[in-house]
Amino acid sequence: MKNTAKTAIILSSLVVALGIMVAADHIDAPDSMGTTADIADYYAFEPTEGSDNTTFVVDLQTNVVDGLPYGTFDEDVLTEINIDLDGDLVEDKVIQAIPRDGMMYFFGPFDPSQTGTSSEVAVDSPLGMVEISDATAITETTADGVSLFAGPRQDPFFFDFNRYNQVVMPSAEDNSGFNSPGVDTFDGANTMSIVIELPNAMLGTPTATNVLGLEVYKTWVTTNRKQ
Amino acid sequence: MKLKRYTYTIALGALLSLGVACDSDDNDSMMMEDDMTGMEDDGMMEEVDFSGTFMQVDYMGRPGINTVLSGTGEIKNMHNTAIPSEMAATFQPGFESQLEAYHDGYAVALGLTPEDVDYEPNILGDILNGPDADGYTDNPVSATVLTSVLAADVLEVAPNLPTTYFNPGAGAPAYEGAVGLTGRTLSDDVIDVSLILLFGGGNGARFAGQDGLPLLVSDGVGFSANISTEFPYLGAPE
Repeated sequence: MKNTAKTAIILSSLVVALGIMVAADHIDAPDSMGTTADIADYYAFEPTEGSDNTTFVVDLQTNVVDGLPYGTFDEDVLTEINIDLDGDLVEDKVIQAIPRDGMMYFFGPFDPSQTGTSSEVAVDSPLGMVEISDATAITETTADGVSLFAGPRQDPFFFDFNRYNQVVMPSAEDNSGFNSPGVDTFDGANTMSIVIELPNAMLGTPTATNVLGLEVYKTWVTTNRKQ
Repeated sequence: MKLKRYTYTIALGALLSLGVACDSDDNDSMMMEDDMTGMEDDGMMEEVDFSGTFMQVDYMGRPGINTVLSGTGEIKNMHNTAIPSEMAATFQPGFESQLEAYHDGYAVALGLTPEDVDYEPNILGDILNGPDADGYTDNPVSATVLTSVLAADVLEVAPNLPTTYFNPGAGAPAYEGAVGLTGRTLSDDVIDVSLILLFGGGNGARFAGQDGLPLLVSDGVGFSANISTEFPYLGAPE
């Protein structure tokens, strides 16, 4: 009986989730949303001003909707951070992360022998590994100065997404747009984070530029499910 | 075009699963040597199985692009299994249509006709090219230009420069101190930036809730999560 009630709650939450759209990438598409491979968010930044490192954060799964839990890392899901150096939007360096038995294993950055939507784990390019954390963060730093983390974290994203879903469907009765102030739907949400910080020298110097003429890595993240 | 791509994807998938099935010596395990740091027991030798082929199921570059500009669930799914070098050609026309559809929706909701409200070139034109005396720029960021840039969905990250998703500086008309496109920090207000570029027009405040117009350039919420200056930077789960 209890299970039935719980199932009903999860199901009704899923129905709510299906009826809405979520950003930044949280539950962004029917095929991936609510799965262990759902990318919730992606961040990349200079950790402190003047640092020679870059930090990459990939958040998987989310419990932004009540009853839609983030769970555990899935051993069938390979997460990849792709870095294009020359601006052709084809990856020149790849970093991989995949969990095995309570550990998150990292590989790369390596030059991929094949690009596109199919991958294998680059077992010849091990980078390091870290125990998957519970609520308290466990981190590792490799001999190359690479910091590694994997585990549940607070979802830093903020957005009034309940109102957003009404804003994108205006009517004569409701055409005022967002509220000011709005309500942060992600306040209190958690996510499964993979964080890696590494020296820029391990990625190489980009020749690609942004529209302001600054030299930039062109980056994107993917999740990839074992076939 | 769409059908062709879909067929290609199915064919590719069939080919790949065939390839996996025929791969009799999938022995891609690795010996965990001492240079795999992170284990307390440095002498530990552990064989871990990483074999198999993995197919892309989700994708993310800039925040919110797929969510906001892909008009249907089918397009969102296609976007998640696409590669960025092909994205502009595949998704730009649909993104531009969706951008106009949002404007048309508000035109109708406000009692006008769809032709009355269109996307207007945003503040990037003035920032990139400098404002003329009358505020007009020679090279405005048209809906086509904007959606072409956004369709190639990658996050640009500048090594050795401070990270800012986008900051319009002192604002219109000169945008003194405007910086950005160097990455994304945990606290950047990426939603407001996106809304300003999509709906803000030439001064960034075209639909700011004034004079009976809708508020479309801000969702009215700001950063509030716990973060740290120490790795891994994100706060403990709540």
